Amino acid sequence: MGKLKQKGKAGAATNYINRNQALKKLQVSLADFRRLCILKGIYPREPKNKKKANKGSTAPTTFYYTKDIQYLAHEPVLQKFREHKIFLRKLTKALSKRELSIAKNLEKNRPVYKLDHILKERYPTFTDALRDLDDALCMLFLFSTFPATDKINSETVTNCQRLCAEFQHYIIKTKSLRKVFLSIKGIYYQAEVKGQIINWLAPYQFSQQVPDDVDFRVMLTFLEFYQTLLGFVNFKLYSDVNLVYPPKLDTSKDEGAAGLGALIIETTNSLATLSTSSHNNEDINNNNTIKEEMVRKLESEKRLKTLSKKLATIKDQGNTTSEIQPDTTKEPEVISNEEIIDEFTSSDSKYQQDVSSKTYTYSDIQNASIALTEFENLFSNCIFYLSREVPRYSLEFIIRTFGGQVGWDETCGVGSPFNESDDRITHHVIDRPTSGHRFLSRAYIQPQWVYDCVNARKLLKIEPYQPGKTLPPHLSPFVEHKEGDYIPEFEGDMEEKELRNEQEIKKDTSIEETIIPLITSDEPYNEDIIHQMELEAEATGISFSIYQEKQDQLAKNQKIQNTNNTKVQQPSIQTITGKKRAAKEIEEKEVKELAKIMMTKKQKTLYNKIQYGKKKRQEKVENLQQNRSTN
Amino acid sequence: MLSDEEDEEEIDFFKQHSENEESIHDIMNSGEENDNFNNGTSGESDNDEYIAGDSLDDDDLDSRDYVEKVFDDVSSESENTQEHYVIGADGNPRKILPEIDPVYDSDSSTENPTNTVGNIPMEWYDDYPHIGYNIDGKKIMKPAKGDELDKFLENMEDPDSWISVKDNLTQQNVKLTNEELEIIHRIQMGSYPKQDYDPYEPTVEWFTSQTEVMPLNATPEPKRRFIPSKWEAKRIMKLVRAIRQGHIVPGKTQIQKPRFYNLWNDTDQPHEEHPMLIPAPKTKLPDHEESYNPPPEYLLTEKEKKMWEEMDPEDREKNFIPQKYSCLRAVPAYNRFIQERFDRCLDLYLAPRVRRNKLNIDPESLIPKLPNPKDLQPFPTSLTLSYDAHTGRVRCISIDPTGLWLISGSDDKTIRLWEMITGRCVKTWEIEDIVHSVAWCPIKEVCAFAFSCTNKVGIISPTCICEEEVAISTTQYVTAGFDNTQHNVEQKSKLVDWSKPTNQQNLNGILVIIQHVHDKTIKQIAWHKKGDYFSTTAPDAGNQGILIHHLTKHQTQQPFRKTRGIIQSAMFHPIKHLFFVATQRYVRIYNLMKQELTKTLQAGVKWISSLDIHPMGDNIIIGSYDKKLCWFDLDLSSKPYKTLRYLFVFFAIRNVTYHKRLPLFASCSDDGLIQIFHGMVYNDLLQNPLIVPVKILKDGHQVVNSLGVLDCEFHPTQPWIISSGADHTINLWT
Repeated sequence: MGKLKQKGKAGAATNYINRNQALKKLQVSLADFRRLCILKGIYPREPKNKKKANKGSTAPTTFYYTKDIQYLAHEPVLQKFREHKIFLRKLTKALSKRELSIAKNLEKNRPVYKLDHILKERYPTFTDALRDLDDALCMLFLFSTFPATDKINSETVTNCQRLCAEFQHYIIKTKSLRKVFLSIKGIYYQAEVKGQIINWLAPYQFSQQVPDDVDFRVMLTFLEFYQTLLGFVNFKLYSDVNLVYPPKLDTSKDEGAAGLGALIIETTNSLATLSTSSHNNEDINNNNTIKEEMVRKLESEKRLKTLSKKLATIKDQGNTTSEIQPDTTKEPEVISNEEIIDEFTSSDSKYQQDVSSKTYTYSDIQNASIALTEFENLFSNCIFYLSREVPRYSLEFIIRTFGGQVGWDETCGVGSPFNESDDRITHHVIDRPTSGHRFLSRAYIQPQWVYDCVNARKLLKIEPYQPGKTLPPHLSPFVEHKEGDYIPEFEGDMEEKELRNEQEIKKDTSIEETIIPLITSDEPYNEDIIHQMELEAEATGISFSIYQEKQDQLAKNQKIQNTNNTKVQQPSIQTITGKKRAAKEIEEKEVKELAKIMMTKKQKTLYNKIQYGKKKRQEKVENLQQNRSTN
Repeated sequence: MLSDEEDEEEIDFFKQHSENEESIHDIMNSGEENDNFNNGTSGESDNDEYIAGDSLDDDDLDSRDYVEKVFDDVSSESENTQEHYVIGADGNPRKILPEIDPVYDSDSSTENPTNTVGNIPMEWYDDYPHIGYNIDGKKIMKPAKGDELDKFLENMEDPDSWISVKDNLTQQNVKLTNEELEIIHRIQMGSYPKQDYDPYEPTVEWFTSQTEVMPLNATPEPKRRFIPSKWEAKRIMKLVRAIRQGHIVPGKTQIQKPRFYNLWNDTDQPHEEHPMLIPAPKTKLPDHEESYNPPPEYLLTEKEKKMWEEMDPEDREKNFIPQKYSCLRAVPAYNRFIQERFDRCLDLYLAPRVRRNKLNIDPESLIPKLPNPKDLQPFPTSLTLSYDAHTGRVRCISIDPTGLWLISGSDDKTIRLWEMITGRCVKTWEIEDIVHSVAWCPIKEVCAFAFSCTNKVGIISPTCICEEEVAISTTQYVTAGFDNTQHNVEQKSKLVDWSKPTNQQNLNGILVIIQHVHDKTIKQIAWHKKGDYFSTTAPDAGNQGILIHHLTKHQTQQPFRKTRGIIQSAMFHPIKHLFFVATQRYVRIYNLMKQELTKTLQAGVKWISSLDIHPMGDNIIIGSYDKKLCWFDLDLSSKPYKTLRYLFVFFAIRNVTYHKRLPLFASCSDDGLIQIFHGMVYNDLLQNPLIVPVKILKDGHQVVNSLGVLDCEFHPTQPWIISSGADHTINLWT
């Protein structure tokens, strides 16, 4: 027999420690403990059994994991906190004794702590750091719009602004913005950096009203950490794309509220040449990098093409694709690839079928890459001019990210590459119902067009977005519609959908023609025929439900056709099959009800819970649908 | 303007006057001071002079007119001045102070304020007729005060009104004296209130400002003042050593390291996934309704908006109200932005994190897979026949062992005999009260049934439906006991009275009437399988609740001296000598041979309503008023093998019953439904019984006064079920 275990010596009782105990153990004040927890990313836990963790008491308590606290005890920052406390004591003593020289000396040796090691601990790889960047970006973007108060000094605010601008520059350079969304809270951005999805929310450019009930000590501790994090992340990002970090700040431009333009981005290679011409180098640099990227892409595409060629030759396909510029040959190229792949699949289709769900074919990858490059250069042929009432910082960032050129009214800030009367301008972004002078050569649009284009991944029609017109609804690109969810529609979508539906119908009918002998209208039916058809369909491998659906759809189509052509009365199959199906459904439902009697209590509660959730979701959707119909 | 001038004149005059006075006083004072100052050196002689020349200066004495003037003055007070001084015992003159007359007027300090309330806010007395108390404790009444007009007139009439001030203590106007006016005037002018105050008096050096040559104490300087400090030397050496060794570099400018550097390498290895490490959940991405220009269906209606506002901020599903703006220019700043960021910060460091496993179960998989009811046929599925003749609710039914006849007892005080197949009512018996229970004798040789109404139980033989031989044998069988009872009348009369029916009753076929001693209603009759014994149950009758009657001998036993709980139902085991008694919570099984309790079944329900035993005898079912049906396997345990809770039955279960031959059982409930189950019991002891709900029979009975189906019974051979309801009907389902 093993040793008798004493109560409270193992398990949850020792694994968890409450906050007061932790304070006692670390011998720090609550404020210091809080800061330490924020910096180290230590958070309270919820033990499985509170009673066991709290010596039998069920009083509400905050628990920490004991090992976390032990780990904190060896933290260098904690030591620095203590040193700081001593330093303060010495300083006040010196000051109160008016020993100014001593005070000065002390001040010189003020203990400073660094967060590098914590950063490395919390994010061992760069990917980890990127994964946790969402909150940091939100916070920094918020603080970059802050007024400097007694709690927040102006250096912090400028530092935040700078870090944000640096990050945005990186996004522009690498063209990694994916989605944008204008919400009532601010502007949401989604970028894809090194395969990680990063979302952040930037407030609209208004001075923030600082509420009283916010504890800025907490916020500022977070901010301190996030500033360090973004600084290091920016350094890594910049150095990975051969840019100089930190970028130099053009003070004259910065004072003129140039925003993004105030930073001078330099590549490490062309540093020497560019440093001579300081003023215009940014644009040149831009062009350089764009060119470089173009070259890179061209090369990669060429490589892809040659690969496909090789494949083609291997398969003895006499398909020769000529070397044409990628701008024009995208479509034929794709076709040729498809052919190759087709050939490939036909040779061992069995294998293909097994693996097709997991593996991506070569053409898939290429199509995706082409689509992506197209998307990344969405505005490459557009030159925008921003009127003074539109949010310049956001639009400049987006347009430049997607390869467009942008100029703005000089009241918005200095640094606009061209003025309003420039002939090259293709799009004029305006947010007023009417404009005084109109250039015929350019399209006038409201700012929502830019955002909607990015989300739709193509240039939309500009008619609905013209100034003064009621805008189509701006939908969130972050919503992924699941089955049974409500999908909002608007006019722009409707046309496309109709087109798509028609195509689908065509496809469907073609399939049915091949498999099922078409049930044509104007023919009286009896159930035997239908039954036989069902059987036949089953024999060909179509499940009953699919067959029913198809029949229904067919019937619907026919109905539509009939109403369009002539209103001929017909005994539709739908009613007969509907009745039959209704009876069957009722029966099935009854059987289900009966089976529910045999559920255990546990199963029953779980089932009811799931049903409750489902019902709630359905109610929501129904509510929305009803709203739409009333509207 | 005029008054102002007057004012100034007055004040000017007054000033001069006071100046004169003050100057005189000043001179006198200075004389005194001087005297005092020189007091130390020449004391007494001067003093003498001073006293002597107090009123008369030596210089002035010469001038004649002054003398005269003084003389005039003195002449009035000459006697006083004469008597002021007396030569004391030491030879010096001594001043004699005037006698104090002990009346109130004598002391000048007590002259004025008769009001004794002291220095308090006088508005405390605003609501009272008096303004305070005098020294005797009597109230001082408020002086009469006229209205505003009177005041005005007074002001106009009184030339001094402009220099009078209201005295709070007396509530009267007091004219300011010239001195007081002068003070006010000086304050107004910004000068010192006292005219003679000299701010530039020469400083008096109380202590000397010169350093003295000689020290105050004569202790010699210590040696340590003259030799270098050892400790300082040590400290300096320490610093020197530190500088030499390079710990301290004097005049070093600290080189700023670059703040950011390449922290991450490509060779970094990610941490292993620790189960205790829970990364913070990401914030939810916005939905369509957060858009600045959402589709109109996402906007809240007025009602929803009001509801949102009334909800607690914690309960709200979303923390904003969807808004629609016509253009981007119209979108304002979001005023809760900082708040939300702050909340997120709090969540990050303050909220306990738990890993929750999200259930990803198809709800359909929770429903047990059961064999299709179609494969388990036969069972009753539809309503075939309805027997309508009763005018009250039909409480009980019973089918005869051959399965041809049906009797029913009803609230309309009749018992009816029906032909099963045709639905014809063959015979009707009128009984004096509500029939609570009817039960056919289970053996085929005897054509008789028992019924109960109030505290009586009767045996009826329906002669019309049976052959003559059977009728005669039945009569003999039932009435044979009368001889026996006559011997034991004394003994048995305690519990029941086996009495012969009247002639009229006899014609109707009633053979025996058993009158119980207790006057409680008998709710249930249960026959033993041999048809010789039957038990009656009266839940309210206490220890006489269950009685077992021996029909052929006309004897009655009381099996339990004491019953525990309210007895709901009692039954005989179909094979063994066991007797089942269902009380409110438990089912107790007694062995009749050994006369002991063999088992207690705990159903776990609140109130058992009915009980039935499987024809094989190893399983029983229990229906309860709290919507549960329990199946007990007597071989397994005293707890239910299966408890079925109905999702759709909202009312109590009235009765449960097994089929005698087929693997079926049924329950009927107060909402007018009959549930048919397939309950297969296998001979193999290792296999548990299979229970499958197969059918719910609906639309047969209406619910009357929240009572639906009251009784149901299976046909002994066919897969039919007969049910009787509160809506006066009896239904046959096939």
